[in-house]
Amino acid sequence: MKDVLVIGSGISGMSCAVRCAELGLNVTLVSPFPSERAQSVMAAGGINAVLEDNGEGDTVLCHVEDTLRGGGYLSSEEEVKGLCERSGEILRFLERIGTVFSVDENGKTAKRAFGGQSHKRTYYCGASTGKQIVSSLIMEVRHFEAAGKITRRLWSCFHSGLILDGVCYGALIYDETTRKLETIYADAVVMATGGQNTLFGKTTGSTQCDGYAQGQLFRQGVELKNLEFIQYHPTTLVTGQKNMLISEAARGEGGRLFYMENGKRVYFMEDKYGEKGNLMTRDVVSREMFLVNKDIWLDVSFLGERLIRRRIPEVMELCRKYRGIDISKEPIPVTPSVHFFMGGFAVSLDHETNIRNLFAVGECASKYHGANRLGGNSLLAAIYGGMKAAEEIAGRAGDDKHPDFSGYAARQTQVLEEKGKTESRFPVAYIRDLLAETMQKDLGIVRNEESLDNGITDVDYYLENADRIQYDNSVMTYFNYSLTGILTLARAVLTCAKNRRESRGAHYRSDYPEMKEEYASSTIISYDDGVYRTRPEGNVGTSINTERCI
Amino acid sequence: MKVKILRQVTPVSEPYWEGFNYDGPPDISVAGLLDHLNYNDDIVNDEGVNTTRIGWECSCLQGVCGSCAMVINGIPALACETFVRDLKGNEITIRPLRKFPVIHDLITDRSSIHENLKKTNIFIREWQQSEDKDHEHQYLAAKCLKCGLCLEVCPNYVNGQTFYGAVFANDCYLVSSRNRNKISEIRKVYGEHFGGGCSKSLSCVDVCPMKIPTLASMSKLNRR
Repeated sequence: MKDVLVIGSGISGMSCAVRCAELGLNVTLVSPFPSERAQSVMAAGGINAVLEDNGEGDTVLCHVEDTLRGGGYLSSEEEVKGLCERSGEILRFLERIGTVFSVDENGKTAKRAFGGQSHKRTYYCGASTGKQIVSSLIMEVRHFEAAGKITRRLWSCFHSGLILDGVCYGALIYDETTRKLETIYADAVVMATGGQNTLFGKTTGSTQCDGYAQGQLFRQGVELKNLEFIQYHPTTLVTGQKNMLISEAARGEGGRLFYMENGKRVYFMEDKYGEKGNLMTRDVVSREMFLVNKDIWLDVSFLGERLIRRRIPEVMELCRKYRGIDISKEPIPVTPSVHFFMGGFAVSLDHETNIRNLFAVGECASKYHGANRLGGNSLLAAIYGGMKAAEEIAGRAGDDKHPDFSGYAARQTQVLEEKGKTESRFPVAYIRDLLAETMQKDLGIVRNEESLDNGITDVDYYLENADRIQYDNSVMTYFNYSLTGILTLARAVLTCAKNRRESRGAHYRSDYPEMKEEYASSTIISYDDGVYRTRPEGNVGTSINTERCI
Repeated sequence: MKVKILRQVTPVSEPYWEGFNYDGPPDISVAGLLDHLNYNDDIVNDEGVNTTRIGWECSCLQGVCGSCAMVINGIPALACETFVRDLKGNEITIRPLRKFPVIHDLITDRSSIHENLKKTNIFIREWQQSEDKDHEHQYLAAKCLKCGLCLEVCPNYVNGQTFYGAVFANDCYLVSSRNRNKISEIRKVYGEHFGGGCSKSLSCVDVCPMKIPTLASMSKLNRR
């Protein structure tokens, strides 16, 4: 193969582009905005890796077991092994290209402990690991740009795939500067478009990650997987526009969650789970907060200003800046928020979807995290997925011929033009807001059959009307045409959640609170002209029994 | 409160000022204010006339992506980090960055930042420890958002010309401190595109949202 189209320029897209270029392929890297604007820059925590000289008895198998266990054994050993086996190589790659990792007193790359892991293996760059990795990857991409192997295209939004008879030949791209659709043919297309924040309105993530690509390609026959597994972060600070993440470090340093009753503080997590109750996993804390159903605060003030400034300065600054709260004197009002999507495109070990030559990497793909993700594994998976897809693409023979999609492109241009002619009283933003309200209400931390049915009824109604909503010409055209794809994805997420009648990982059903053996498999969902079908993947994971890792 | 916004429909159309009334609470960021004006039902200007939604760019909404750089009351800043409560007077003026071509309203094309870095080969490639072991400085330099605020405020920077501004100087520092084999190459392009043209007003330091110590970067690159 020669020409690769990578759609999305965050960490996974850039990782794929770089590996493709290293292997001699020509890459077109498409995104509406530069890589600095990608959600990847918001990843704070770190990246997991097992290095040979870790000195603490950690092994790749321990990392595999921790990942499988954290994910409720929905992923297979084979796929997770692939990820973990190359973690050391990935860390060395990031160091080589100049990522400014934090170092310990001896000048060695520093690591920290993260929840749910048997060993300390999370390498980090202060409180901005994602940003530091983005900066070094941008430089590496820039090198290949200067060498003519990677071409960046900005202001370019994904419209649809060029797919015929189960094979992908490229993509239709909307250029916001020329305001035209453009056909880009490629030997392989790699989707790296991130998660699905827009479905829920306010989340901890970027406004640019909306799930449209997943929804649109799903409509074109691409299968999706495990959409019901959505990770909530228990402690976020709500502002008018988003939910800002209050790092787990605040609880790690001793932060205590409480609500007020009869003028007294009730430390509900400690009451229920003992001394370490505040440090329970994200899904458990979020669920307890939901069940308490009261305003909840996180108190770190007892640490004192000096310690707070030294240990969690970014939390102090964030609360001061966005809500005027001095956390050394008063508690932080916290709310659980949608944070990460374990589900996405169903992909093979090589990150190919069920459509030949169409690949997916990063958060938009579902592969390693099962029913819940370990901290530090998302950055690792983003880089690994990008590399893996690139290596598979480079090893394949290309085909210079492709079908002619000019008729398809002309029809889509006509659709956009017709919709753009009339202004509407109900712009797309109105439906997007309604969708977010529905999803927050009916697909929350705790779900049940009734709420999911209500959600499905509402989203079906929005979908019926989506084609009648006229486009708002004063916003980006992408913002308009993305509506149907986003709604379709939301409908698919609700369907997956309805059909999993058990509780596992991040998916909790109040009407089916137990984990059931019959559901010990990933969910695959497909679409056929308005019909949504789910089936088990049949790829059941098990514990690999590495006793040293428990 | 009056809000005046310099608007422009397309890259080639004429800019024009349009006024809006804002009667919400002052404890809101300018990004929040723009969202409020855009999506509080219909958008109406201060003459009561229905108008088009205001174009602006955002992604993280918490000061780490650089999307929402614009000029607020004459000062280049990130809209998501500028709060109405901190602005003086009863009128807020908002305009796009002037040093870059306008795409639509407050959205500008800042791709020249990346292009300048590309044509001068500003990339690390191989981490080779240099004498500079100032880890904190390297960490801060790598936090650069490429938002363009330092160029907007710079008296020497003109888009399309050979002086590339503070954003360039800091990336030059980062590369030379992470790869000792590139020090002489970097110093050469630094001299050509920054060292000789900087009049040291240092206004770039004041507006940098990441508080990157540009002066320290310059001092290290000027050292022989």
